[in-house]
Amino acid sequence: MATANPIPDETSVAERATADLVVYVTAMAAEQFKGVLVNLEATFSAENMIVASENELPADAPTSLRIMLSPPANPNWMLRPADFVAAAQHGQEHEAKAILILGPGADSLSSAALRGLADAVLSASIDLAVPQYTLPPHAGLINSAILYPLTRAVFASRIRFPITIDLGLSPRMAERLANVAQRAAALNQGDALLWPVNEAVAAGFAMDEVDAGPRTVPQPSDPDINSILALITGSLFADIEAKAALWQRPRRAQPFRRAVIENAQMDGNADVARMVAAFRLATANLQEIWSLVLPPNSLLMLKRCSVLEPADFRMPDNLWARIVFDFLIAYRLRTINRGHLLGALIPLYLAWVASHINVTASGTPAERHIEAVAAAFEADKPYLVARWRWPDRFNS
Amino acid sequence: MQSLIENVMLQANQKLAPLPVYTDDASIWHHMSDALHQSLFRVLTLLIAVLPGILAFFVALLIFTLVGVVASWILRRCLTWAKFDLRIARKSGTDWTPATSPTEIIARASFWICVLLGLIIGVSAFDTSYATGTPLPISLLPYLTHAVGAVLLLVAGILIARFLARSVLISAVNAQLQYARFLSLGVKWLVLVLTAAMVLDHLQVGGDIVELAFGILFGGIVLTLALAVGLGSRDLVSRSLESHVEHTGERTHIPEETTSAGSPIRHF
Repeated sequence: MATANPIPDETSVAERATADLVVYVTAMAAEQFKGVLVNLEATFSAENMIVASENELPADAPTSLRIMLSPPANPNWMLRPADFVAAAQHGQEHEAKAILILGPGADSLSSAALRGLADAVLSASIDLAVPQYTLPPHAGLINSAILYPLTRAVFASRIRFPITIDLGLSPRMAERLANVAQRAAALNQGDALLWPVNEAVAAGFAMDEVDAGPRTVPQPSDPDINSILALITGSLFADIEAKAALWQRPRRAQPFRRAVIENAQMDGNADVARMVAAFRLATANLQEIWSLVLPPNSLLMLKRCSVLEPADFRMPDNLWARIVFDFLIAYRLRTINRGHLLGALIPLYLAWVASHINVTASGTPAERHIEAVAAAFEADKPYLVARWRWPDRFNS
Repeated sequence: MQSLIENVMLQANQKLAPLPVYTDDASIWHHMSDALHQSLFRVLTLLIAVLPGILAFFVALLIFTLVGVVASWILRRCLTWAKFDLRIARKSGTDWTPATSPTEIIARASFWICVLLGLIIGVSAFDTSYATGTPLPISLLPYLTHAVGAVLLLVAGILIARFLARSVLISAVNAQLQYARFLSLGVKWLVLVLTAAMVLDHLQVGGDIVELAFGILFGGIVLTLALAVGLGSRDLVSRSLESHVEHTGERTHIPEETTSAGSPIRHF
């Protein structure tokens, strides 16, 4: 491995090997990597830090950093299991007290965000520090519609972004995630998504959110909503299924530890009409499939929604919560092929997006609506637990 | 003296009793009766020859079904005692429902394997008992096996047709194609027609007529679809393709799902 800063001979082996902070930078574009190095140098100039990366060292890299390089890899839009394994290994090698994982686009993170993630683990004894990004309006809608409400209801976790591309980990959290990643790799799932928040809840580790400000979030190479929704939602459903014994116990929700960041209110003249048209087309054609998953009252409410005009289109929060729960149940029961199941969810998700845009256009702040949706998920958790335990009962 | 008297009486009877005019009818009835008796005898013989085989078939099936019931019960008890489901769940990270747990699957599989074994042994017992000492050639048994294969082929074809139809329906709806249901039905019936042709061919029914009819039907359906797409629905298809290209262009760059106010919709 190459090092940008040759270590003097008089330095002891122990001092050379150890570092308080290991920053693992995943594969990214060369300009981004250079930006990350510059930020790290500015932020952690006084820290005993090692930077490990899968990128090629730029020619004008900061010389004060200790950098360990691995063979370059292709950038990915999400953290892969191999990233967690490598980060944990580097942390163990250097006996680090904190490990930061930074994904592609991390050069857009502010120094305060980087410092916040590191300090949460180093100073506040937090096992998992998760950034809370300030995203543009109408961004991260899958997270707002499904990921955040579902993890909040199921795992009693109020982390706004349950899956992120930057993380602050304690050594034991990194080790746990590495074990999970190795299990995924053993099952030949090298591109599987890991859910650090869920793992921290399962292990009883301490979590915290850090205000990370705006960030450039990398987009998948195939940004088709059909494939993205199926991939992310299917992964979360599988993780929830695997941890069923955990979340069915009563859990106390974490208290709010952050201020809800309100985005600038946007005009609601979005492409709602197209999404409502897609929902109507699905209502006309997918009733047979939806009827295998959803109970009759949900189907009736969907039919009522389908006759609404685009400008007045609203999907009740509790209806959306029950739809997601019913699809989660159907995923577990394999009522229909899982690929078909997640494909049938897409028009319903688009209907929620259209409703969300209309709600925000009417004056309700977006975050307030998302919190209301999450509260509806929490309120309906008994429904999920009942159907999970007694799948044949359709009326709850 | 007595014999003389008897002879005289006989001659007298012969003289007195004219030859009966219905002597041929009695023979006809006798012959018919004989023929019916013989055919009945043949049927009964055949039945008697077949009955042991049928009885052997049902006895074998019954015995192996009972064996299957016992085997599945024993397996279910043993696997439950060994916490087999829990061990598998730990390894795979999957939470099983009671109806689809590995224990239940293995128990059911063992039962049906025993039933299948019983069927095979019953058929071979039937074949053995029927084939010995019978003049009639047995031609039904190979046809029976072909029929079983044809049934399996039909079931597989129906399942594949349903799966493909559902896949096409969901994909077409998500692609916002207005003729999604039409497309799905077309795919389903294409697969079903193909399956029917394969089943008839497997049963050796119809021969070349079936092949020809299938070719004409299948080719006709495909040609109809091609003409509908190419000529008859030009406007509809061009509108659908245009809207599809617009939506694909929007989908290839998620941030470009712009609102009229300029704020992009980003799903991730």
